[in-house]
Amino acid sequence: MAPRLLAFLAAAALAAAPAPAQDTSVRAEVDANRVGVDDNVQLTIVIEGNAQLTGPLVPPALKNLRLVSGPDQSTQVSISNGAMTQTVSLIYVLQPLAAGRAEIGPARVRLSSGEKTTAPLALEVVPGSIRPPRQQRRSILEEAFGGDPFGSSTGRGRPRAEPKVTMSAVASRSRAYVGEPILITYYMYTQASVASVQLTSAPQFPGFWTEDPDQAKTAPQGERTTQGGEPYMRFAIGRRLIFPTRAGTLTIPPAAFRVSLARLSVFDGGGTVERSTATLQITADPVPTTPDFSGAVGEFQVRAALDRSTVGLGQAATLRFTVEGSGNLKWVERGPQLAVPGARVYPPQVKSDLKVGLDGIKGSKTWEFVIVPETNGALIIPALPFSYFAPSSGVVKHLESPPLTLQVEGPGAAAAPGVPAAPARPAARPDGLALRSDLDIPPRPLPEPGTRALLIGLGLVLLLHGVVAGGSLWSQRRAAVPGRAAPRQSVRRALGDLEQARKGGLSKEQAAALIERTLHGVFGNVDENGAGPVSERERAIREVLQQVQFIRYAPQLGDYSEQIGSVATRAAEVVRKWA
Amino acid sequence: MGLSARGLRAAAGAAVVLLSAGALQAQAPASPGQRYRQAGDLIRTGDALGGIAIYRSLAASGLESGSLYWNWAQAAAARGEAGEALWAILRGREVEPGDRSLLRELERLREAANLDPAELAPEPMAALARFARRFHLGWLALGLAVLSLAAHLVGRLRPALTWPARAAWAAAALALLAAAAPLAGATARPTGVVVRRGAPLLDGASATAHSIGALRQGEVVPLLESGAAYLRVEDSSGARGWAHRDDVWPLSN
Repeated sequence: MAPRLLAFLAAAALAAAPAPAQDTSVRAEVDANRVGVDDNVQLTIVIEGNAQLTGPLVPPALKNLRLVSGPDQSTQVSISNGAMTQTVSLIYVLQPLAAGRAEIGPARVRLSSGEKTTAPLALEVVPGSIRPPRQQRRSILEEAFGGDPFGSSTGRGRPRAEPKVTMSAVASRSRAYVGEPILITYYMYTQASVASVQLTSAPQFPGFWTEDPDQAKTAPQGERTTQGGEPYMRFAIGRRLIFPTRAGTLTIPPAAFRVSLARLSVFDGGGTVERSTATLQITADPVPTTPDFSGAVGEFQVRAALDRSTVGLGQAATLRFTVEGSGNLKWVERGPQLAVPGARVYPPQVKSDLKVGLDGIKGSKTWEFVIVPETNGALIIPALPFSYFAPSSGVVKHLESPPLTLQVEGPGAAAAPGVPAAPARPAARPDGLALRSDLDIPPRPLPEPGTRALLIGLGLVLLLHGVVAGGSLWSQRRAAVPGRAAPRQSVRRALGDLEQARKGGLSKEQAAALIERTLHGVFGNVDENGAGPVSERERAIREVLQQVQFIRYAPQLGDYSEQIGSVATRAAEVVRKWA
Repeated sequence: MGLSARGLRAAAGAAVVLLSAGALQAQAPASPGQRYRQAGDLIRTGDALGGIAIYRSLAASGLESGSLYWNWAQAAAARGEAGEALWAILRGREVEPGDRSLLRELERLREAANLDPAELAPEPMAALARFARRFHLGWLALGLAVLSLAAHLVGRLRPALTWPARAAWAAAALALLAAAAPLAGATARPTGVVVRRGAPLLDGASATAHSIGALRQGEVVPLLESGAAYLRVEDSSGARGWAHRDDVWPLSN
């Protein structure tokens, strides 16, 4: 490896080494052979080759000319095919002295390879000036800074004029069918030096589907053009491919740009201007669809192929249906429907190989169907249709792939990886179809209630619940009258209180008070000592109340829990019976 | 002779009566079961269209069953009409939601037609309605509501008893729960099945309407409006338009 590298470096060094000195040439040139007395003429001594200057140039002898300035030296080095070439230019500015003939004598140049002499030159000098007026020579400050930095303070400066920069959006066509591509190009026309261009907001394309064309990311190349009779540089600063998605007159709103101007000197702030494009109108023609139209617009071809022509039973074959061409193939999502009698077809996988160019989308889209045969013999893969609209002819074209045959041989090995095994189904039934022999009308005793009937039924039940609850409330209010039964809700509570009194744990006074309060709560104010005829109900209540009074005021001489329990039980019976 | 003449007249009369009865018997319409079996025979001999015509007439007369639609689907699939086969199976599922073999066949046809499960169920609430129909949840809800009312009444009449109130509340809650399924299911829009391949989706309900797309065979689409010969539908992509009744068959009556 190292010897090879050394050899390469040596070869490169030899190639880059200066050429022999005898290859160096020296010549004198003037920018005009006929000049006016009032004109200047530029003399250039060109030394082309690899020899080095070893001494100062001896200026040529001048006749009817005088030296104004020079020499200014410039050097240019170029490498071509591994050989380096050097060009040294020595420039003099001369001025004629009088009309007539002028001469430039030979100039001598001392080089490392020796001395060289240029050929003499002759000029014709005429009165006045015959050369176009030259731009006024700029001052040293202007040369250095591109302007007088002190101009503003000295009053010599001028405000920077409004830069002549415009933006334009150009459509490749103003009329297209729905789904046809249109290229929108954004151009900048400028007479000023521009540092950068930015979009202030993303361009809007209502009614269009947009794509960014694949293009090299290089700096925009300018071209000279004329606008309104004035020279401009035009730059294509952006392109967008758009496709109408609906028919009609579609409007592309203006796009706004921010243009940053280049600084002309260290004292120049540059500046920024806002520019917008004009509104564009596109007329989109409808596409005459047919029932099986795929939605594709362009020019396409179809093909179908099986990955194998013979397959074992239970193994899988792959059918690839490919649509190829130029158009809006990205729109086409649904592939053809494939049904193969005697085989199971799995939903296809879609693969796209599409490229967006300046003239549209090109490439192919492929639907891959996995087919698992379920019977032996030859399976016919039917022709798969594809229809698209051809803008060139203005009609919907129908294509079909050719039908294919897949030969299925005997019981195969395991299914292809990634493909579920085919279900165990009889390949062909003896009678062809699995028909059911009995009609088996299902019994329908009652039709299902409809939504309205259900809502009405539930509402009615709810209403009846309310009626029951309202009736109960009404009866409670009636019972609130003295001597009448207590509200029915309190009966349950009263029984609970009496049960508490019966269980014990209370003093005899507390138990008696609880029983008494409960009975009054249920039956109202009943006087246990009242006189006069009473009903059986009132008599029963009075008896219990009298027993309660006895227990309450009896002397504390023993355990009254048994009596309390008995009275509470009796009180509960009365409540249950008469409340 | 006179006797024999009367005998002859009687015999002739009897023969006429017998012949008339035989003719009447011959002209009597076949029973639904016989016609159903006749349709099966036609299909087995290759006349799927004739068999389907009989199934259609039986269904039109209200004699719908899972078996009828099963056979209809088999015959349609044999003719290559995947959309019609799917419609028949789905219709059979509406009639007999508990028939598991119909569900298996539906899955098989769906895969064969390369349809996504969502394309067969655009209305999820419809499944709830089928569940309610299968288990008679409407009637169950009404029964439970009446039961809760009865328990409420008992509780009011016999305040000393505690169980009626609990029973009333429980029955009412169950009634509401049972009623939720049919009520929610009723919000599902009616649906239909695209039975023709490449059926156009039109921008109007007329013969001169323009096609704005194509419907997918076998896809179940909600029915938004119904016209004389056209149905307004919405496909799985959300596109709305009109389809001819011959192309989209409704699933519900």
